[in-house]
Amino acid sequence: MAKGLTWTIDDADHMTQAEIYGEVLTKLGYEYKNLVALTADLAGSTKIGRFQKDFPDRFFNVGIAEMNLFGMASGMAASGLLPVVSTFAAFAALRCAEHVRTDVCYQKRNVKIIATHSGTSFGQAGTTHHCTEDLAVMRAMSGMTVIAPADAYETARAVVAAMEWDGPVYIRIGRSFEPPLHKNMDSFDFEIGKAIKLREGTDITVIATGRTVPGAVEAAEMAANEGLSVKVLDLHTIKPIDVEAIMEAVMETRRIITVEDHNVYSGMGSAVADVIAASGKGCVLKKLGLQDEFSIVGYPDDLLHYYKMDADGIVEAIGQVMKMDFEADEDWEDEI
Amino acid sequence: MPTRDELRARLFLFAALPLVKIVREDDKIMRTITRNMTGVVQFESKDSDLAAHLVFANDTLEVKRGKHEHPTVSFIFKNLQGLNDFFGGKPALPAAVKGLYRLDLIARTVPLLLSLKLLMPNADPKKPEKRALKVKLLIYMITTALSQLNKAGEEGMVKMTKTSPDRIYQWVVQGEGAPSAYLRMKAGKTKSGRGVYTRRRPFVLMKFSDIEGAYQVLTSKAALVDAVKKGYVVTEGAMEYSKEIGLRMQFVEELLA
Repeated sequence: MAKGLTWTIDDADHMTQAEIYGEVLTKLGYEYKNLVALTADLAGSTKIGRFQKDFPDRFFNVGIAEMNLFGMASGMAASGLLPVVSTFAAFAALRCAEHVRTDVCYQKRNVKIIATHSGTSFGQAGTTHHCTEDLAVMRAMSGMTVIAPADAYETARAVVAAMEWDGPVYIRIGRSFEPPLHKNMDSFDFEIGKAIKLREGTDITVIATGRTVPGAVEAAEMAANEGLSVKVLDLHTIKPIDVEAIMEAVMETRRIITVEDHNVYSGMGSAVADVIAASGKGCVLKKLGLQDEFSIVGYPDDLLHYYKMDADGIVEAIGQVMKMDFEADEDWEDEI
Repeated sequence: MPTRDELRARLFLFAALPLVKIVREDDKIMRTITRNMTGVVQFESKDSDLAAHLVFANDTLEVKRGKHEHPTVSFIFKNLQGLNDFFGGKPALPAAVKGLYRLDLIARTVPLLLSLKLLMPNADPKKPEKRALKVKLLIYMITTALSQLNKAGEEGMVKMTKTSPDRIYQWVVQGEGAPSAYLRMKAGKTKSGRGVYTRRRPFVLMKFSDIEGAYQVLTSKAALVDAVKKGYVVTEGAMEYSKEIGLRMQFVEELLA
């Protein structure tokens, strides 16, 4: 049981990832006396208003000056505080990339970045407010830990775990009403760097991250009705990546589909591909996500469907990958 | 559609006969009897192209499918039924024996063939090493037989393999040196292999507790439900498909009876 977290599924029904993050942060404020929260005029949107209410002297709104956000957080970390920065993913990873790199990562500062509205989860706000590049940017920053929780409960566990994790952490969450994946806070194990095995299977593995995970589980169930055995991994931590879980999936199924609400270039799928390539083992790999394009504008769930990152799209991909050969072993003579 | 006699002949020639090689490797007496043998011993039928031959050379034994151009000895049966009766342990003699003058070769081959009687349902050896050998032979034979049924176009097996993705059905007997074998199927093709398939996880895994557990199950001395209760066998993976492969195994047993 995560410390100080007592929500149930009923609460999750009306709490988004961002909402529950705001609740968790406030609880943690009582536990970690050095915790300070920073934002750039987005306290309402990033749901940390309650922290501000409970701890007005530990809350800093820098105004619309996102780059300063990270400079200040770095300085606060250097003085022994535990800064938690909340802003939209597009600002944290793109607008402030240099500051995150130079002020936070290069200085090895213990800053936690909670990036809301990631991927296409802010669908109707348009391309400027989407962020389908952040996993690529953040995982390339030396020393940065990168996490994309699947639902509100996982977000809560990730935020709690990040407090005890030494070094900068980037937690990528959504904005819309992400469906709950887990039953409650205690129904799963959460450890930074350890994927969650949601379903066993031997035909194919779907590795999903962030808000695409529930769709992966649904797709596995749909495929099971067609007689396929689909393993599902929730790869919430993109860096450090769970090499063991990925290689187990490779060796067990030899067919992998990755799903991420992100450009397929250099995101989670690419991180998985790096692991497989380094192993020297053969496997079919298909990466679902935005195929190197900016997202159209629309409701988040419609965008997941449009870009084939939902259950229907994943089932379609399963069908395609199952028809592909995973090895050159085409000797069909019985061994005698 | 293959006839029942064709299916039976395939199983005897391509799944059971090759096991003489295993017997020779395992059984010291058989190795002594067949030491430094040279020649080709063939089994064929006048009414079919189905045939197999044993090649003895350089103190090794190979079992090959099909007809050899110049066998040293050939047991030629009138038809597949006769060949099946011969291998099935019923009184049956070949219509002709080519190379009968090589009595030495025939005399040394016969004990090898007789050693396959260990596969018969009524063979119930008491010595642990013989029981272990029987388990090994049965596991190897079943996997090869299933693959051969598919290759022959047997309806039930073809139905199972035709739409199958690349899947592994694995049989494992636990314990050091205990045998294991697998059946790989993919889009209508099958291959039986020895050992554990390591390139991926099995779709269905039949794991026997030890040699004795496997013996009880594979010889049907223990009913499957009892065998599971007693822990002789654990099946992991897709239950519907393990049931299906179990039915195909029963069919193999019926054909060879």
